[in-house]
Amino acid sequence: MDEIIRYFFDFSRLSGYWPDILHGFLITVEMSILTVAIGIPLGLLLAVLRLYGIRPLNALIIFYIDLFRSIPQLVLIILAYFALPFSGLVLSPFTATVVALSMVLSAFAEEIFWAGITSVPKGQWEAGRSTGLGFNQTLAYVVLPQAIRLGIPPLTNRAIGISKGTTLGSVVAVPELLNVTSSIQSNVANPTALTVGAMLFLALFLPFVRFTRWLERAYGHPRH
Amino acid sequence: MTATANGTDAARDIVVIKDLRKSFGNVEVLKGIDLAVAAGEAVVIVGSSGSGKSTCLRCINRLEEPTGGRITVGGQEITGRKVDLNALRRRIGMVFQGINLYPHMTALGNVTLAMRKVAGLSKAAAEEKARHHLDLVGLAHRADAYPAQLSGGQQQRVGIARAMALEPQVMLFDEPTSALDPELVGEVLNVMMRTKQLGMTMIVVTHEMQFAREVADRVVFMDEGKVLDVGTPHEILVEPRHQRIRDFVNRTRT
Repeated sequence: MDEIIRYFFDFSRLSGYWPDILHGFLITVEMSILTVAIGIPLGLLLAVLRLYGIRPLNALIIFYIDLFRSIPQLVLIILAYFALPFSGLVLSPFTATVVALSMVLSAFAEEIFWAGITSVPKGQWEAGRSTGLGFNQTLAYVVLPQAIRLGIPPLTNRAIGISKGTTLGSVVAVPELLNVTSSIQSNVANPTALTVGAMLFLALFLPFVRFTRWLERAYGHPRH
Repeated sequence: MTATANGTDAARDIVVIKDLRKSFGNVEVLKGIDLAVAAGEAVVIVGSSGSGKSTCLRCINRLEEPTGGRITVGGQEITGRKVDLNALRRRIGMVFQGINLYPHMTALGNVTLAMRKVAGLSKAAAEEKARHHLDLVGLAHRADAYPAQLSGGQQQRVGIARAMALEPQVMLFDEPTSALDPELVGEVLNVMMRTKQLGMTMIVVTHEMQFAREVADRVVFMDEGKVLDVGTPHEILVEPRHQRIRDFVNRTRT
């Protein structure tokens, strides 16, 4: 027991590192929020565009989502940071990570929204259109609210899973939480920093999970 | 007296269908339908399943695209490319077999949506009118209920209110009671009867023969994509002139 405390809970070793840890935490928070804030709306946009059935556009969208669902996030981050500069686009490590993760999330989100939209019964479209609502109006007021509601649980899972991929930013030297805490671990030869990192990840993602549970209820409608 | 100003009955026809044809692939399900429905008239379309009744009805607001023929509603051509479909559909109410209420909206929300977004009424004006129409179907007290909290019969009555609230020129009913438990059918038919008494022009596809006998001004019997006979309920359902209709009536009587 003493061993465990000495190895993992020796906070005295961290004095002087707290500002770094806080900075790393804030970067992780920023990257997670940006990934979700870009990835999910982009996924919704792609799903809606796909609904218009424009052949060449749909082929492009499907290529995009299949590509980004297949490539490992780590590979994508490395490509975004090291390969893009050859095409003249230089991204900071932070931006490269956020861009890569948002694209992956948008690809998964598109599939989730698409599944939601196509599982809304045809009769809902017919009811909307029969009252004179246009295609876009029926989509916005009748179909999307139902599709989004269906999509919330799987979207939550994806968003959390991919946001946790912000730790992969360490490979391109983003000073995010895992990167910072694991460097401290090597510096002081004690893994307490990682304990702090783990607790901070919990502090970030638990409220997020809770928030989405609340969202599910808020978007729900009474069944009985 | 004023009704005769234009001379002919045709001027009073709200819906005129001429040689309506519809094919799905190689299968022709409507083989030239002719039908005229006058203002305030209730026409009930009967026939065995697969006779094309629902398809015919769905062509009138172009939920199905006719392959040939012409349809006019309120004197305006509805077939053709240049028709403003949304404006057309606003004038034609539709009630579905599957009811199709919006599950994420209350009864009031279901009725007001198109009034606000299509007819452009303010929220307050739409709600006032919607409550009036919910009252007509006997559901004013359930305005804030979600569809899942209503019985099938109540849902379908909201469906009727949703269509009626737009004050259409004609109401189409596509087997409105087919999906309901038998004990819930009566309340929906009563509301439809009241709709007729309010002077609404109605075209109803149904299997409820008693409703057809009691409420229809005319009954249309469809068979294999054609109109086999049109007449009073008595002529079609009580003393049928065709053997096929006699067989149909005998089958449905049991």
